[in-house]
Amino acid sequence: MKITIPHMGNVYIAVKILFDGLGIDYVIPPLNNKEALSLGSKYSPEEICLPFKLMIGNYIAGIKSGADTILLVGSCGPCRFGEYSELQLKILEYLEYNVDFIVIDAVKSIGMRELFNRIQIVGSESKKRFPGKINSVIRAYNAMCILDEIESQAHFKAGYEKNKGECKRLLNSCKSEVLSCNQPDKALKILKEYQKRIKNIAVDYSKNPIKVAIIGEIYTVIEPFTNLFIEDVLMDMSVSTKRNLTPSWWLKDMLLKIIKLNSMKLLKASNEFLPLYIGGHARECVGEAVLASREGFDGAIQIFPMGCMPEIVSKAILPTISREKKLPMLSLIVDEMTGEAGYMTRIEAFIDLLERRREHVFAGN
Amino acid sequence: MRVGIPKGLLYCKYHPFFETFFHGLGAEIINSEDTNKSILNTGVKACVDEACLPVKIYHGHIASIKDQCDLLVIPRIMQVYRNEYICPKFCGLPEMVIHSIPDMPPVTLAPLYMHNKKSLYKWCISSGSAITRNRSKIKHAFELALKAQSNYKTGILDQKDITVMLAGHPYIVNDAFLNMNIVNKLKAKGIGIITEEFAPSSITETQIKKLLKKPFWTFKRNLYGASAAFYEQKKVHGIIYLSSFACGIDSIVVDLIRFHIGEFPMLVIKLDEHTGEAGVDTRLEAFTDMLERRVVNENNHPSHGQCLYSSQNSI
Repeated sequence: MKITIPHMGNVYIAVKILFDGLGIDYVIPPLNNKEALSLGSKYSPEEICLPFKLMIGNYIAGIKSGADTILLVGSCGPCRFGEYSELQLKILEYLEYNVDFIVIDAVKSIGMRELFNRIQIVGSESKKRFPGKINSVIRAYNAMCILDEIESQAHFKAGYEKNKGECKRLLNSCKSEVLSCNQPDKALKILKEYQKRIKNIAVDYSKNPIKVAIIGEIYTVIEPFTNLFIEDVLMDMSVSTKRNLTPSWWLKDMLLKIIKLNSMKLLKASNEFLPLYIGGHARECVGEAVLASREGFDGAIQIFPMGCMPEIVSKAILPTISREKKLPMLSLIVDEMTGEAGYMTRIEAFIDLLERRREHVFAGN
Repeated sequence: MRVGIPKGLLYCKYHPFFETFFHGLGAEIINSEDTNKSILNTGVKACVDEACLPVKIYHGHIASIKDQCDLLVIPRIMQVYRNEYICPKFCGLPEMVIHSIPDMPPVTLAPLYMHNKKSLYKWCISSGSAITRNRSKIKHAFELALKAQSNYKTGILDQKDITVMLAGHPYIVNDAFLNMNIVNKLKAKGIGIITEEFAPSSITETQIKKLLKKPFWTFKRNLYGASAAFYEQKKVHGIIYLSSFACGIDSIVVDLIRFHIGEFPMLVIKLDEHTGEAGVDTRLEAFTDMLERRVVNENNHPSHGQCLYSSQNSI
């Protein structure tokens, strides 16, 4: 069995550490690129959301380099993500690729036993004993958490750094170093070292950079290829960004959802505007917008793929939050036809607006 | 007390319930007009750009009656069957409307779970308490409403020599303005129509069970199940699927049906606020012509013995 996974931001690094530790054969498809996108949009339904298309592209690339099993997480929410596996399997069958799907689905829809069965299929490939397996899983989880922390630190400190571009350089070299290392213990050590380095980066807190919250649909905010590397662009502009949705947050949220203790702060903040779960991460998006205004951010950028059902609801609500909390917002909708020039112009214009706004006579009221 | 019930979205399916209930509480009911051009225009103006056409039209319905009523019924239908949702936009419908249309009267915000009587009654209490505090009156109106709803049947069954399944969400199939009067157009061409409501439930269930995953959308269960059942039964000669642009559910369901039926004739009509009627007419005509040739003239076999519709055989 040779496993492949679809991409989502830095998840592949944690997955690599996990499979290296377990000793399972795997293929990581090349990072999302134009080819994956064009292959994906060729074979996917026309109106499906962008993540689906990219995933198809990832699968095909993975299969071409020898994978025969696809590992995917699922959900049973009202959002389309839960239906991905079924249609993707049909599409790959139609393309005459012979692959198995292992969908780590929500307990609610498949039951605890079936979930363990599915995990067992992956686990039985590993020759390690049970404690060793648990150890690998914990190590991978730690790696994911550290990586997310490094990333969020780098994004936030980009506005404060003394030597311009240091955060970005550090982040990039961290990723490439971890990726080239095949021993999970060593990879974790590298990550920890970078964690220290990013903590001790030279910063000047007297600076007052523009602070922007990145909110919206989880895949498009995490996967840099879909949002045309917005966080890197903002880092270059010396803008501090904060993004709440990370892979490690998602994992924690999924686990804590079982006992209903997940992201209490966010949900409490969203209560005023959207008191119910409507699928996807619409409620989180609304909550983050409210929190961003409370935490003194200058603005928020919402990103979602064209046609995303839950985010359309939150987009309807955001103007009210913007008005009431006096927080400028920009909604960016991405799909396979997003043009870079138009997109960058809008981001630049938005950042300019935020800068001018500070100088306005009513600023601070 | 004047209660406004907009004639959009699932009104076509559940209006006896809402109307009887609020009528039973002694409220005066104000309906919006049937969908028309001005409702569409106000809806498109008020609603978020990315929403689908039925949701935009719903906004138009609300905008047209909001000033005449003291309470607006915006059913936040979460589940019709257990663990099956409608669509995320339905779950957030009141919020969408409140934040898009200014100066709204009070609206019903309670979530509506219709899979059992108890949770449905809960909605009635929370919505009815805006009108009366008399619990027995609410209970009585609730019972009446349930009765009215159970006596109400929707769907079109009109079988002829050539019959097509008219698939699509109920609010598209039943709204003559939205679907450009497709029912009458088909009738005029002498084509029979059958809708999802008449699919035999036993075959539907077996088709659903063949899916990898239990569907969590009621629309998917109904539309995929019914299309697959009619196809297996050979009851229809083709499928016309009415869908709105950017509908998340249809983007999956249409393709699942396509994978299931293979080369069986199917026409997907995407509707949005820019749709021109002439283009729809042409495609409808072409599709019915094709069905006629297939069924009447060629008896399902093209003259040279190979199926013309197969992608593999085409040159």
